Amino acid sequence: MPSLNWKHHALVQALMTRGPLKEKDFHAIFSGLTGKSPGAHQGLFNEYLLNINKELSSCQFELRACRDQYVGQVCYGVVNNVADEQSKLGTKYTVQQIAFFKGILEAIAQDVIAQGSISNIEALNIRLENQVLSTQGSQLLNGPLPAAFRNFTMSQKEKTLDEFVQDQWLCCTPDGKIGLGVRSCLDLRGWFRNLDVPFCEVCNEAVVKGELCQNEGCAVRIHHYCLKNKFSRRSGEILCPRCGLKWQNQLPKAEILDEEEEANDAIQSQPAQRPKRKRTKTNETHEKDAVGCGSSQSSVPNSDFRRITRSSSRPASQR
Amino acid sequence: MAGATQDFSQFDISKEEIDKLVAEVVRYVLFKTHQNSGCPIKREELVQLVTKNYSQRALPAHVINAAKEKLSNAFGYELRELLRCRPSSATQGRSTQQTGVAEAKSYVLISQLPAEVYKKYVEDENSAHLSGFTFVVISIVHLAGGKIPEDILWRHLKRMGLCETDASHPVFGNAKQALETLVQQRYLQKDKVNGPEGNTLFYELAERALDGPVSEKMKEYISEAFKLM
Repeated sequence: MPSLNWKHHALVQALMTRGPLKEKDFHAIFSGLTGKSPGAHQGLFNEYLLNINKELSSCQFELRACRDQYVGQVCYGVVNNVADEQSKLGTKYTVQQIAFFKGILEAIAQDVIAQGSISNIEALNIRLENQVLSTQGSQLLNGPLPAAFRNFTMSQKEKTLDEFVQDQWLCCTPDGKIGLGVRSCLDLRGWFRNLDVPFCEVCNEAVVKGELCQNEGCAVRIHHYCLKNKFSRRSGEILCPRCGLKWQNQLPKAEILDEEEEANDAIQSQPAQRPKRKRTKTNETHEKDAVGCGSSQSSVPNSDFRRITRSSSRPASQR
Repeated sequence: MAGATQDFSQFDISKEEIDKLVAEVVRYVLFKTHQNSGCPIKREELVQLVTKNYSQRALPAHVINAAKEKLSNAFGYELRELLRCRPSSATQGRSTQQTGVAEAKSYVLISQLPAEVYKKYVEDENSAHLSGFTFVVISIVHLAGGKIPEDILWRHLKRMGLCETDASHPVFGNAKQALETLVQQRYLQKDKVNGPEGNTLFYELAERALDGPVSEKMKEYISEAFKLM
């Protein structure tokens, strides 16, 4: 068994103490420790991860990566692979909070059009009693528990939702809804399988947010970013891998480019606080234009700009 | 894999079973530490994981040592053993700082990384305020001679902006709870002393604050702080 040195340990401890990290942060740590960037030294990076996992696997842990389904970003984390007695200790959440979480998870995962998110109101209306019947845990007893589940108040639910977002089990989508957080994508593969969530044809991860095949009888789902890769590479049509129907590009090309740019802003400005509950109909394209205009209005006149951003390259008449 | 330096041949148990036991202990320590925010884990709890299914007498000690090795090799954590001290008023006679009478062993996880590496890559900035608070409180108690009455401690904290009655402080939440957490984590322990005016509650340093490396570092930092003044 290869022995690990302090650099491997630093990587593992960083993930365990700080939680899942975005790819660029994780790569930055690696570069800082070894003096080499993972991009240029893929072999070394992979070797590090492989050696770490050899040690971790004996304790049923794994260091893995996954794509956040909402912004398509890769994240790394240390994940527990076995649900045993010890891992049941590893949570600070109460039984009711866990039941609430399961309810939210099911509601999101079972959305037929794979939007990958539910609104605030839907989340708060999740009924915990439905979870009692399906949960079997050594902590559950009969009798008084259903009452405790019924008495889980709205304000407790709100507070719990905040905690879930803070801990990254859930996330706030840019349009103000509740979606699955990075930890759920990393940790809960087994759960998605149990809920019969279809897996992506391209990358073989569960598709909670993605696109469906236009063919009604075909159950194929593919992630937005996996499709983006396919569309950008080929100039011809994409066919559904299972039923052969031509796959409609459901997002206009221009929006795809803007989405990438805005995704970076969205990540920085997405603190744990959830947006206040307001029922505004946000039209996504208008929002993007507003972002573009706002940033160029408050900045120095264009002649001073060395770098031409996409928003400032639009003709002046649009503003 | 299980404890290259541990000799398990004396026990009539297969290697797979040993590995499984070691993994269980490692996982228990990791998860429990997360769940109780770093409060020490009693040795008894770890021993039980082994004796639950196996009755060999020396086995728990071997498994715990193997787990110690595993935590160090795979994660870079030290499974540090602490001896639980009793409050000084409970022991007769001398009341120096190191009066702890060893009652029970407990364990905490400490990172073995060099301090600069830990600070740069591992430290979670969201919990930095807790480390700061811990350090300040332990320093106050240390400078008071290792033991301080409750009201004096709060008087010092108030001068720094934290009141005993604060129930929703923007950083620490419930101030009393924040101090109580230090007791649960065994940095401090409480002691009721009979005095002429009745019972006084004292806080004194407990095993986690008296532990060698921690104590040394603390004295270093305090003297640095004095130099700056």
